[in-house]
Amino acid sequence: MSPSIVLVLIVALAVLAFQIGKARSIAVAGGPRHTRSLHSLPGHYGLLTAFWCVLPALAVFGVWVGFQDSVLTRLVLSNMPAEQQSLPADQLGLLLNDLRNVVAGNVPASMVSDPVRQAASDFLRLQHVAHLSLAGVALGIGVVALLWARRRIRPELRARNEYERMIEWALFACSAVAVLTTLGIVLSIVFEAGRFFGTVPITDFLFGTNWSPQTAIRADQVGSSGAFGAVPLFVGTLLISLVAMVVAVPLGLFSAIYLAEYAAPRLRRVVKPLLEVLAGVPTVVYGFFAVTTVGPMLRTVGEALGLSVAGESALAAGLVMGIMIIPFVSSLADDMITAVPQSLRDGAYALGATRSETVRQVVLRAALPGIVGGILLAVSRAIGETMIVVMAAGLAANLTLNPLEAVTTVTVQIVTLLVGDQEFDSPKTLAAFALGLMLFLVTLLLNVIALYVVRKYREQYE
Amino acid sequence: MTTENPVFACRDVNVHYGDKHAIKHVDIDVGRSEVLAMIGPSGCGKSTFLRCLNRMNDTIESARVTGSIMLDGQDIHDRKQDVVQLRARVGMVFQKPNPFPKSIYENVAYGPRIHGLAADRGELDEIVNTSLRRAGLWEEVKDRLNQPGTSLSGGQQQRLCIARTIAVNPDVILMDEPCSALDPIATARIEDLIDELRESYAICIVTHSMQQAARVSQRTAYFHLGDLIEVGETKKIFTNPQAKLTEDYITGRFG
Repeated sequence: MSPSIVLVLIVALAVLAFQIGKARSIAVAGGPRHTRSLHSLPGHYGLLTAFWCVLPALAVFGVWVGFQDSVLTRLVLSNMPAEQQSLPADQLGLLLNDLRNVVAGNVPASMVSDPVRQAASDFLRLQHVAHLSLAGVALGIGVVALLWARRRIRPELRARNEYERMIEWALFACSAVAVLTTLGIVLSIVFEAGRFFGTVPITDFLFGTNWSPQTAIRADQVGSSGAFGAVPLFVGTLLISLVAMVVAVPLGLFSAIYLAEYAAPRLRRVVKPLLEVLAGVPTVVYGFFAVTTVGPMLRTVGEALGLSVAGESALAAGLVMGIMIIPFVSSLADDMITAVPQSLRDGAYALGATRSETVRQVVLRAALPGIVGGILLAVSRAIGETMIVVMAAGLAANLTLNPLEAVTTVTVQIVTLLVGDQEFDSPKTLAAFALGLMLFLVTLLLNVIALYVVRKYREQYE
Repeated sequence: MTTENPVFACRDVNVHYGDKHAIKHVDIDVGRSEVLAMIGPSGCGKSTFLRCLNRMNDTIESARVTGSIMLDGQDIHDRKQDVVQLRARVGMVFQKPNPFPKSIYENVAYGPRIHGLAADRGELDEIVNTSLRRAGLWEEVKDRLNQPGTSLSGGQQQRLCIARTIAVNPDVILMDEPCSALDPIATARIEDLIDELRESYAICIVTHSMQQAARVSQRTAYFHLGDLIEVGETKKIFTNPQAKLTEDYITGRFG
């Protein structure tokens, strides 16, 4: 009996418990016509019974499934001949790997040594027993809990209030999962980055101008040391983000002004969703648009002007990224502009201001904090964007401010560092975590500032 | 009801909002140096009519205004009439104080700036100073002209809006329930101010308060469902109204 069947049985038990609890409450009340003497509705008693029945059963199930494999492995191992048990740690690891592969059916039993084959069949036998006893224990506890919960049912039991508290706990648990996951990710990045800074001094990383993370596999190879100066990556990221913002801010802002202040409502209803479609295009599509169209086009234009433009350039990546970000800027700016009270516009018009004077000197002035917040959010989006730059900006870590050359960004390097064959404790791999930490800190800071600015603005008019 | 040498002479004014006939065949004059109060139950069109006088209804897409509105003998709907110029001559104060998100000084200086009324900073200072004085706000704000206009109290904000309107030196000031968002003390100050301003400007005020109309105005117009029922000297309207509807309204039988 596999654990998933046990899970289904627990669910079935819950349904049963619900019915039992409900029936019991009606019985203690003295029949379906007297349920008003109960503190709560019969359904509440049913839910409460089901909850108290399922919670211990699920807890047992979770703990059991979590520990079963390691306990079984240890048991099987202790039954193996002493020769295998005394193997050094790394070889023992290989042996256990074989064992797991045979058990999972990935490797036919005929491919492994006799002791392992024997151990695998032991393991399977034990596993069968374990699953059966899991079913027995979990369901048994569920039934006991069910009987206990049923006994608690009295007319004065405040099932409805307890049910409220259960809801609250369930909601709390969901938000806790989200928060803890975030915390876990951050901690793992910080921890791995800490290991990296154990090998490479943090000052070298932050201020070094040479990025060449090719550590050798053997110590005697040429260029075995690798250089981890991240300045070229930071500069490349900023350069591309800057190009993107130069494109996105004016286009996004002006289109927002047009849509919010000038366009007829009917036009606005059509154009605004169209603009937001831009945000829905997958970034990889933007990426190959950058590689196949914008890059070559820039090159041709550059040649005509006598400039040398690299095939992969910061300009191409930045231009396309800017297009991608337009909806972020325009959508937020549009919200902010429409949130400006009509009375301010009326005030300006009544003084004889023209439309553009009103927009420039009154409406934008009022919406400015919100617009700045939106732009900051867009910047953090640009800094974290990966796919477009991977495809269009190149891998060369040039330290340059010339947007016509190929540059690389923090995100691109994280991708390249983690793709390919490397041990997970080499500085090359760990460098990705250090870069990730930097990226995380910068975007976090931008988001915090942006949200602060936006919220401060919201307080003014609501 | 006609007046000698009126500022505004309105004849057969109609306003349609889409299918709704909001103002029906209104004839009315606004005299110089007088306060004309417009009263009537909610939705009677008094605010709509007020907004015809500086063509603020232009900003409402579905609104259509017909008839003739003459400002000093010039039709404000004439093609030659620049709406920006018109609004500089006919100022407006709104129901809710709406200072711009700028400093107190910049709020008042805004109109003179966009119309180029001051040749240099000195003149602009002078205009701001006089306008704030005339609006009775100078003493309260003279030490904090650089603070945001929104930092003032509601009554002060409304006087700031009046100062802002005066700064452009209009001929007429339209007021759309200027005291409805204010407490009685701030209201009394604004009413005193209206009385002083009357010497230099013609003022049209829409109000929900009949007491206010009686206190500040020389003439009163009563609107009902888009019709101008009656217009005349305030005293006469409140003591001896000609129309039954007016009498019912001012004696509190409805509205």
